Amino acid sequence: MDKKIEILFPEFCNLYGDISNMKYLHKCIPKANFIETNFNDEPAFVTQKVDLIYMGPMTEKTQEKVIEKLKPYKQRIEQLIEENTVFLITGNAGEIFGKYIENEDGSKIEALGIFETYAKRNMMHRHNSNFIGKYEEIEIVGFKSQFTLGYGDNQKNYFAEVEKGIGLNEQSKLEGIKKNNFISTYVIGPILILNPEFTKKILEKIGIEEPKLALEEDLKNAYVQRLKELKSL
Amino acid sequence: MKKNLKFYIVLYLAKLSRIALKLIGRDATYFPGKLAVTLCPDFLGRIDKPKTIIGVTGTNGKTTVCNMIEDVLKENGYEFIDNHLGSNINSGLATALIEGATLLGKQKKELAVFEIDERSSVKIYPYITPTYLVCTNLFRDSLKRNAHTEFISSILSNNIPSQTTLILNGDDLIVSNLSPNNNRIYFGIDRLKTDTDKCENIVRDITVCPKCDSKLEYDFVRYNHIGRAHCIKCNFQSPKINYEVTNIDFEKMQMTIKSKSEEKYDLINNNIINIYNMLATITVLKELGLNQEQINPILKKQKIVDTRYSKEKEGNIEIITQLAKGMNPIACSRAFDYVRKEEGNKAVFILLDDLHEAANSSENIAWHYDTDYEFLNSESIKQILTGGARYLDTYVRLQIAQIPKEKIVHQREETTLVDKLNLKGIDKIFILHDLYSIDLKNQLKKKVKDKILEQNKQTEN
Ligand SMILES: [Zn+2]
Repeated sequence: MDKKIEILFPEFCNLYGDISNMKYLHKCIPKANFIETNFNDEPAFVTQKVDLIYMGPMTEKTQEKVIEKLKPYKQRIEQLIEENTVFLITGNAGEIFGKYIENEDGSKIEALGIFETYAKRNMMHRHNSNFIGKYEEIEIVGFKSQFTLGYGDNQKNYFAEVEKGIGLNEQSKLEGIKKNNFISTYVIGPILILNPEFTKKILEKIGIEEPKLALEEDLKNAYVQRLKELKSL
Repeated sequence: MKKNLKFYIVLYLAKLSRIALKLIGRDATYFPGKLAVTLCPDFLGRIDKPKTIIGVTGTNGKTTVCNMIEDVLKENGYEFIDNHLGSNINSGLATALIEGATLLGKQKKELAVFEIDERSSVKIYPYITPTYLVCTNLFRDSLKRNAHTEFISSILSNNIPSQTTLILNGDDLIVSNLSPNNNRIYFGIDRLKTDTDKCENIVRDITVCPKCDSKLEYDFVRYNHIGRAHCIKCNFQSPKINYEVTNIDFEKMQMTIKSKSEEKYDLINNNIINIYNMLATITVLKELGLNQEQINPILKKQKIVDTRYSKEKEGNIEIITQLAKGMNPIACSRAFDYVRKEEGNKAVFILLDDLHEAANSSENIAWHYDTDYEFLNSESIKQILTGGARYLDTYVRLQIAQIPKEKIVHQREETTLVDKLNLKGIDKIFILHDLYSIDLKNQLKKKVKDKILEQNKQTEN
């Protein structure tokens, strides 16, 4: 059976080159069916089985819209997480699934509340950093660039252990959220292109045995170089 | 805001520091203003300002537009202060105002032309009210600094003073919605033959109506979100243009601008970006009261500075250098589009590393994936040569754009790339470079010229 990949709201959730993750994945699994769900459509995951749900970073106003849009499907999302559906959620898209997002003035935007984490915005102070973190035996490399920092307890369900850079916030050494096959991370950009071994893991999770990557050799060369560079900083 | 004792002390200190720096032969375009705004954070509010202030902001083109405005004004005998040697943030404006002020803090000149960084709006507009503020365009820029266009447009709209008359790119729907209650004048370019119905770019930052969130239907797309559109539900649409290019004659290198009357202006080159820059310049100068006879003869003499664009012929091969700011996906995409649309067989050097980042850290390369490398996947582009710290990443990116391996040369060392340049059948060689790699560009250009000369000698023998 061909795999089904759902990209949520690509017309909005497309900042920082993140949508390239799905373009690259398509090169790895050309036969898969990539469903681009626009904001005004009902998500495919509501009524069908999809193998991977992807959502990328978005603007602050869009976050509020997306929360409202997904609220009616909260239970369905929880059910899918329980059933081991793979989610890949990057940048501030992860905040949609937390408790709330707090503005500078203390006002709060209530989010889906599936996880215990929450975020605080500081629009005049953007956090930028490089990242190395261990996910299972893989060293994930990448960057963060964000107006928010995350808070709350992710000790039991973090995505990666930080080796370089920050976790949810400057004091945290635990990055992102992972529950079953739900993965969210503040690491932005072409994370799948930058991390070939991680991409293989994702492909395995959606049920592809011995996955082959597009441009595998060239991705690996770039990965090795970046890891070396980041470690030497 | 009143001038208090502290203000005068800071003004004298800043003026003294300027004299001292100049005496020892140091650059005095940065420090005096920096000192002033550090010691007296509302310094910009307390110092006198010229009666008329022209501000220029926007992601791309603000330096070029400022330079053009200044040249036309100068040639027409206008006296003004400007920040073109200094920075475009609050301290740069402060330096210019300090230099232009008497010891009593009064301005000696009645006119100012300021380039203003978008991100610095919060530190500038509370104190400085531009008479006219030109906004050239708003695009994704350095994601580390500028995040996204919604952030930049909201800090502009939240800070631009209500008395300022805006001179806006009406073909940019993000720009045309800035500070909707301000007085405004739009410039734009009517549909061109090269415009399309569909967006070819990866990035388009406005796809839904800012009023009602319904889908926007584009009447035509020029590039990214530049074009004209209307909402499918409400009455929202691209604005009515006040200064509109109705015709471009690329053979005669002339454009027709329709405002209250129709006038012809000579083009400096055929790049659409430069036509927008000229149009913005002409619009603000006309609003200031200058006429076509005062503007055109000077504009047509303008040369785009060598660091931005140069064209030279060596034998039968043209060598073109073009600035394509790294980390600025739209500037790079425009450069790639320019290359693919030029006639002839081409070889392209790509030198887009941020040397500062390369020296200190691993560059955040996310912007490569907002950039239309796909445009380089063209039959007429025979070879692509890339070097620098990020050469392995660029190699991957080029291949993701479906460019065959055989066409790509990638290596760490940039200057020796020329050794692998294949001149056979090549009509044009492009060197696309970053602001930080001007020296490198010059070195490469020289090596390319030498290689062509060498080859021509061999064929003569
Ligand atoms: Zn509408």
